Amino acid sequence: MRATLSRDIVLGAIPLILIAAVWQAIVSFGYAPAALLPPPGAVFVRLVHQLGGTDFLAQGGATLLRLFVGFTIAAVLGIGIGLMAAVHRGVDAVVRPLVRVLAPVPKVALYPALLLLLGFDHASKIALVVADALFPILLSTYYGATTIEQKLVWSALAAGTPPHQVLYKVVLPAAMPSILTGCRIALVISCIVVFLAEMISSTDGLGYLLVRAARSFQTVDMFVPLISISLLGLILNALLYGARKVLLRGFPEV
Amino acid sequence: MSAVAGDGTATARIGISIAPFAPLLACLGLLAAWQIGALLLGTDSIPTALDALRAVPDILGDRSGLANILDSIRRMAIGLASAVVVSIPLGLAMGRVPAVASFFNPILMVTYPVPKAALMPVIMLWLGVGDLSKTLVIFLAVTLPIIYHSFEGAKAVEEKMIWSGAAMGMSRLQIMARIVLPAALPEILAGCRTGLVLALITMVTSEMIARKSGAGNILFNALDMGQYDTVFAMIIIIGALGIIFDAAFDRLRRALVAWSDTRQDIPLSFS
Repeated sequence: MRATLSRDIVLGAIPLILIAAVWQAIVSFGYAPAALLPPPGAVFVRLVHQLGGTDFLAQGGATLLRLFVGFTIAAVLGIGIGLMAAVHRGVDAVVRPLVRVLAPVPKVALYPALLLLLGFDHASKIALVVADALFPILLSTYYGATTIEQKLVWSALAAGTPPHQVLYKVVLPAAMPSILTGCRIALVISCIVVFLAEMISSTDGLGYLLVRAARSFQTVDMFVPLISISLLGLILNALLYGARKVLLRGFPEV
Repeated sequence: MSAVAGDGTATARIGISIAPFAPLLACLGLLAAWQIGALLLGTDSIPTALDALRAVPDILGDRSGLANILDSIRRMAIGLASAVVVSIPLGLAMGRVPAVASFFNPILMVTYPVPKAALMPVIMLWLGVGDLSKTLVIFLAVTLPIIYHSFEGAKAVEEKMIWSGAAMGMSRLQIMARIVLPAALPEILAGCRTGLVLALITMVTSEMIARKSGAGNILFNALDMGQYDTVFAMIIIIGALGIIFDAAFDRLRRALVAWSDTRQDIPLSFS
């Protein structure tokens, strides 16, 4: 077991090291001028240096705030609507066609409309994150809740659980694995979308840093926000994984 | 007993008669809500749904407008097709060979949360603002979900089918092509569906960043110039493209995997 684990780590590290090596090689053998491709060392030094500065942290904080608020609203709405649609026929009849129409619409195209409606501040960016993160959570909640074992509901009712309590005592926990899978996808999407929104209406945030650097051809500064958003995604993903372990205690290996 | 059965068929019949029109009704409902909302707001920057719809033929009838949109679709098709060709074999190999999976997994995990369209400014420095960089960005954005779904699909293939194949003297390549690929097909197509929506999103964003041609170019230029009717008409056009492509792909998917339990997969849209 331990042998396979360490073998996995070694194998997985190879492409990452390879990319860094090729990147460094291209720079040091002079195939690309530093203005087009900065050496990887310089990028990491800049990243570490920036992490100590207040400006960079403030920009990162703005991104994180939008991400967090948008994701939370999407999760509450998605789980709520998904559960209601799964148990109530009338809600289902309304929600289903709406989702079918709205899910394949590319939400970034809606961003100009959101800008005109909500302005250039937090609200329009958060609204875009909600619009994009909502559907994966809603759909996975819906599928999770519609495919639960009917016997669970029957036995809860037979044991005297009031029907309205069945929803959050039986259906919600039983759909939890599926819901969390949806949340994981939505989290990645939120990272991507918040960054794009900040690139389009650049006022602050990591996306703005990238656009600002691109305008002044500061290639080193262009790579820093890209690596930051990747790190942010990895950290949030790890947190969600931890939450999943706590929430799914007692489930048979998910 | 018979009453119950009769009731069941009756609802089924009503369900069938309404079902095809439900998405259409949903569209009409959304447009109506927009119309009422815009009238209530009464600001210049939010045109009513009818005004926006009236601007749609102007864009599609205009030679350069149509050419821009067709440019976009061409780039999207090339990016998507090349991503499918690369990703499916890679994902299947990852699903069947553990060493391949552990080789590629970390790099995929690291690159997943990076918005691929955000690479556009960097790639533009290297390859210019032309078709090549936009197609490359679409390719990069679409590969990940297709790899991931092919991987999951191949991992879930029943071992007994592979053993039977091996017992019949099939080579590893034959097993891949004739057992693993068809068995994983429903999952692969779910990935392709996500990829399709993703390709459209990346197409719009890449054109927003490199304003040279395309649907995203029209949309964001109109926004900058304050031509709000055009902005909202373009939103309608791009949204309609998403819905049409998705519906067309769903028909194809149903035809290809009619044998499997139809999972009512609505795509999990990515950005």
